[in-house]
Amino acid sequence: MTAHVVNLVVSGVFHASILFLVSAGLQVVFGVQKIFNLACGSFYALGAYVGVSAVAWYAEAGGPPALFILPLAIAGVAAGALGVVVERGLLRFVYDRDETFQLLLTFAVVLMMEDAIRMTWGTSPRSTAGLYLTYGGVHVLGTTVPVYNLIVIGASLAIAVLIGWLLTHTAFGCIIRASADNREMAEALGVDMRRLYAKVFTLGTALGTLGGALVIPATAAMSEMGIELIVEAFAVVVIGGLGSMRGAFVGALIVGVLRSIAISVYPELEMLLIYLIVIAVLVLRPRGLFGGAPA
Amino acid sequence: MLTVDALDVFIQASHILRSVSLDVGPREVVCLVGRNGAGKTTTLRTIMGYLRPHAGRVEFRGQPIHGRRTHEIAQLGVGWAPEDSGIFADLTVAENIEIATWTRSGGRPAAERIALAYRVFPMLRRYAARKGPELSGGERKMLSIARALALDPEMLLLDEPFEGLSPAIIPAVSAGIAAITELGHSILIAESNIHHVPESTRRLYVIERGTIVFAGAAQDAWRDPSLTRIIGSAA
Repeated sequence: MTAHVVNLVVSGVFHASILFLVSAGLQVVFGVQKIFNLACGSFYALGAYVGVSAVAWYAEAGGPPALFILPLAIAGVAAGALGVVVERGLLRFVYDRDETFQLLLTFAVVLMMEDAIRMTWGTSPRSTAGLYLTYGGVHVLGTTVPVYNLIVIGASLAIAVLIGWLLTHTAFGCIIRASADNREMAEALGVDMRRLYAKVFTLGTALGTLGGALVIPATAAMSEMGIELIVEAFAVVVIGGLGSMRGAFVGALIVGVLRSIAISVYPELEMLLIYLIVIAVLVLRPRGLFGGAPA
Repeated sequence: MLTVDALDVFIQASHILRSVSLDVGPREVVCLVGRNGAGKTTTLRTIMGYLRPHAGRVEFRGQPIHGRRTHEIAQLGVGWAPEDSGIFADLTVAENIEIATWTRSGGRPAAERIALAYRVFPMLRRYAARKGPELSGGERKMLSIARALALDPEMLLLDEPFEGLSPAIIPAVSAGIAAITELGHSILIAESNIHHVPESTRRLYVIERGTIVFAGAAQDAWRDPSLTRIIGSAA
């Protein structure tokens, strides 16, 4: 029984870690740019594929398997550079438009990226083969927990702390919070919104692509993985509260662990359970658990 | 320092400003007085680059700034304290002031700029750790002006610094603005109540329905009964 619970919690928290990275990207972009970026799911999928390719290249080049997480993470972060292209090339034209228009545009990016991924990497799932078990497992209360999962959980926690520190203790973070709150006033203090938007969107994209890269050793990259994740990230954001980092953290934990419990207890309930929570939050606390606080 | 020349501004289809001209010299304090809706805020927002003039020019220190973006105008040295104060709610009072030294670095050292802001409005020091929503209207006005000052600007634009304040706090705001006028900035103040115009104001402009109807010495405005009807009735 305890072994079962440990497995559930570890796999749930692992999934939550990935979900947090993607949702954090969604939140920081929404907070500053007021755009709900559906394409965060595509960035996640892109990160996964770029991660697979980077690891394959690394293995061919003869790099020690124990260090495969380094090229994986570096490729994940580097793929975030696509953010600048999408922001400067597309999104900047719709900042003053209706939300519907922005949603449609980011959804168009989702569809285009899905096809671009199919064209580049083909339609069959890609995986990193046995690398997942490179780090082995540790025995905890009668079960074996993959060390890779623990590394990702640790990395995600570290990133959460880092983002919190960035937002509250640095000049850049202070400018982000100020611009999220009152864009016009920030401009009157000399903040170049175009540059800030490009930076924030790239940060948000890099969080998504890193999430995709890190998840990949534990699963396989599929072109439709982006859409699936958007649905979950949406639930995280509704539960946690739009624009809130703490909300992304708590929301990701709730969705990640619940999903893991549902899959093991009654798989048919997986998405239903998450949506029941979403509905309950919308009815009882329409702004989410941490909604209203900008950062 | 600042020259506004024959500005025409439309907001959507409404013609808000009609050939508005004014100028503010170095170290000069100038007031733009008029009723609510007369076009004061529109004039200041156009200078600040939020609105594009349909016709006319705005020059700051000899270079045209109409058509420049707001952040560029700020970087040139124009400090802005809007009517609604524009306090960043998620930032503390201290951060609201300090942020101006990050967004426009260079010039005088940050510590000196922050110290000056607190010297002008000593009350703010007590609230340094509080956040925006915990401040009263007057404190927000003071913080807004202090932040504009911490930008280390050559010129300040203050939009209705006394609007909606309780009589108890007006002297503190007034004293702060008086202190700023001695620092050597050029200042343009929009004001709907002529009784709030600082004593150091030598020249004022009266705006009515988007048109400048008086430009001249403050004491002359007082002698003109048609003007006192426009701007003196509120007191």
